[in-house]
Amino acid sequence: MTPAISLRGIGKKYRISPSRSSRLEEILSFGKAKRSHEFWALQDINLDVEPGTTLGVVGRNGAGKSTLLSIISGVLRPTTGEVEVEGRLSAIFGIGTGFNPLFTGRENAMLSGLILGIEHEEMVERFDDIEAFADIGEFMDQPIKTYSSGMRSRLGFAVAINVEPDVLVIDEALSAGDSAFKKKAIQRMYDLKDSGSTVLFVSHSMGMVKRFCTEAVLLHKGRLVTTGSPEEVVDHYEEMLAKSQEMKDAGTSKLDKQLDYEIEHEDEDDTPTKDDDLGTPNPRRIVGGAEILGLELLDESGQPADALSSGATLTVRVRLRYDEAMEDSTLGITLQSERAGLEVFSTDTALEGAPLGRKDEGEHAKVDFTFGMPLAPGIYKVDASLTNPQAEDSNVARTQDGATFEITREGALAPVRGLVRLPAKVEIHGPEGRQERPA
Amino acid sequence: MATYTYNGKKSFAGEFFDSLATFYRKRWLLRYFVRRQVTRSYKRSYVGLAWAILGPLIWVFFLTLIFSEVVGLRFREVEDDPTLNFGLFLYCGLLPFMAYSEALTKGLNCIRSNAGLVQKVVFPLELLPFTNAVASLVDKLFGVGALVFFVFVLQHRLHWQVLLLPLIIVLQLLFTLGLTYIMAVVGTYVPDMGEVLRPIIRGTFFLTPILWPPETLPENLRFINDYNPLAYLVGAYRGMILEGTLPGGLATLYFALFSVALFLAGFALFVRVKPGFADHL
Repeated sequence: MTPAISLRGIGKKYRISPSRSSRLEEILSFGKAKRSHEFWALQDINLDVEPGTTLGVVGRNGAGKSTLLSIISGVLRPTTGEVEVEGRLSAIFGIGTGFNPLFTGRENAMLSGLILGIEHEEMVERFDDIEAFADIGEFMDQPIKTYSSGMRSRLGFAVAINVEPDVLVIDEALSAGDSAFKKKAIQRMYDLKDSGSTVLFVSHSMGMVKRFCTEAVLLHKGRLVTTGSPEEVVDHYEEMLAKSQEMKDAGTSKLDKQLDYEIEHEDEDDTPTKDDDLGTPNPRRIVGGAEILGLELLDESGQPADALSSGATLTVRVRLRYDEAMEDSTLGITLQSERAGLEVFSTDTALEGAPLGRKDEGEHAKVDFTFGMPLAPGIYKVDASLTNPQAEDSNVARTQDGATFEITREGALAPVRGLVRLPAKVEIHGPEGRQERPA
Repeated sequence: MATYTYNGKKSFAGEFFDSLATFYRKRWLLRYFVRRQVTRSYKRSYVGLAWAILGPLIWVFFLTLIFSEVVGLRFREVEDDPTLNFGLFLYCGLLPFMAYSEALTKGLNCIRSNAGLVQKVVFPLELLPFTNAVASLVDKLFGVGALVFFVFVLQHRLHWQVLLLPLIIVLQLLFTLGLTYIMAVVGTYVPDMGEVLRPIIRGTFFLTPILWPPETLPENLRFINDYNPLAYLVGAYRGMILEGTLPGGLATLYFALFSVALFLAGFALFVRVKPGFADHL
């Protein structure tokens, strides 16, 4: 199979001049006066990316990630080497770049499509999809200059992703969208991935890279250091970061370390992450013996739900299969707020007084947890785990990724401030010493 | 299916023709861009495109008022109405000059002002100067239309030579394109060019017979008119619209050759240095 992207000996050299006039001196002296120095932003990059791969590009700031993606996209020419890209390439660099601020969202979407070489008619046909995906309402017909950065990002992403690219290049373009949009965008990227498109992806969110990519590369000072599975590459990267951190500031305060950690993981907050990435502080051992086959989220009418309004009732349906006979077991679920990064609610069958009882080998079980959610809008994640009451420090089974859903503002019965609405009562008393008398 | 390859081995001729072919491949984009550019200045005003006609009319009115009435310059006699002569004469000369000066100034900035397209998108950059040149010529066509209308209203007849004006405009397009491509390159690599350009444009304004009729040049200064492509254009416009004469055949041939050469040179230069634009901004 011919690779979707093939890079051979790619290098990119820049000349750094202290100022314009010093560059002039250089030219006038026919290269005798050396006022500038060379800087290789990339060197010796060899890489083949098979079609259908999702490649994560990681590295510190200035490692050459954006330069590499620009070269692959054809925006920059490499100083040395060869690039080959098979098929239609769509790239997003930053937020709403390439848009003309004076023209409307619709016009800009059209323009972006035409730039990619899509014909006018075809673009008109795709407009509905783009509009639906961007979901910016009547702003579609307003000039881009009136957009918030989130809206720009939405539109940019909507266009790039709805032109059915064979190769999609994304450089940190997701950082401005809210979590609901991010979720949608990631879903669409999964679809693209499934349909065989190649996705190239720069991110500082290691969770995203691990979750979403099938392969990853690590760039350091313009060179390709590691190529391999996302786990390996991310491990290598984090090791490298830790080392440079140790070298740089041996003995910095705990606060600094905490800040570094938070900065490094900043944009992971509202992207779905594996639950053992940073969430649970003490991940329990999984001993096995049963398997959680599925976890579904249903609304009041029993339909699958991925968005509910504040105050709505949610049913979490967990399907289990016991691989060995068990005297008793407890199924628990936890509800986590992705935004706040903490557990909002958790319960289990024992606590709710509905014991699962003895189960035989091969037996199936379906358990519904139903509860109201007077929660603030945001993304929430549900996980389920099965424990054996005899060995409470280990899990029999646990969901890997759980299920996420969104609490939306629309249709909320009452606004929720803070994270949760607690049942509250207000009584108004008159001033001390005076009896309030109803009129 | 678009497949992008860069291996640094492509010959210069290959890149040149590839760039030319881009105009066909991206014709939708080109159309959109030209339309956008033409309507840009009028888009946000109340009467919109009507300004394209109104603007020149107001020009003609004031030029006539100032030069014929106030200053009293009357070296071209319009039948029955001598007051109009200089305004029309001047405006007719200004049209090709404005197209030229716009080509220079807009060409100079067309890469810099589209930095987003250069650095963030895979954009066929050869379209940018082309769009600018075509749009400013189209804009001047409104002016030509207004002028022809004026002449018809005032003189109640038109010269048949006007019908051949489009041929001159095709040559003028090549001339303008050549200038624009060269300026696009110069403007991107030499930021000081903006300052240099202003005196150049002013100088050519006075060296071209716009304010003065070419016949008034003394014999030893005739070359100012004879070797000036702008003077050819001004003369051709005036002859065909106002006087009913055709430009000389030999002069037209020279101008055509010069325009084609300028276009090819400008385009080749542009194609040559285009890959460096993204690095240079």
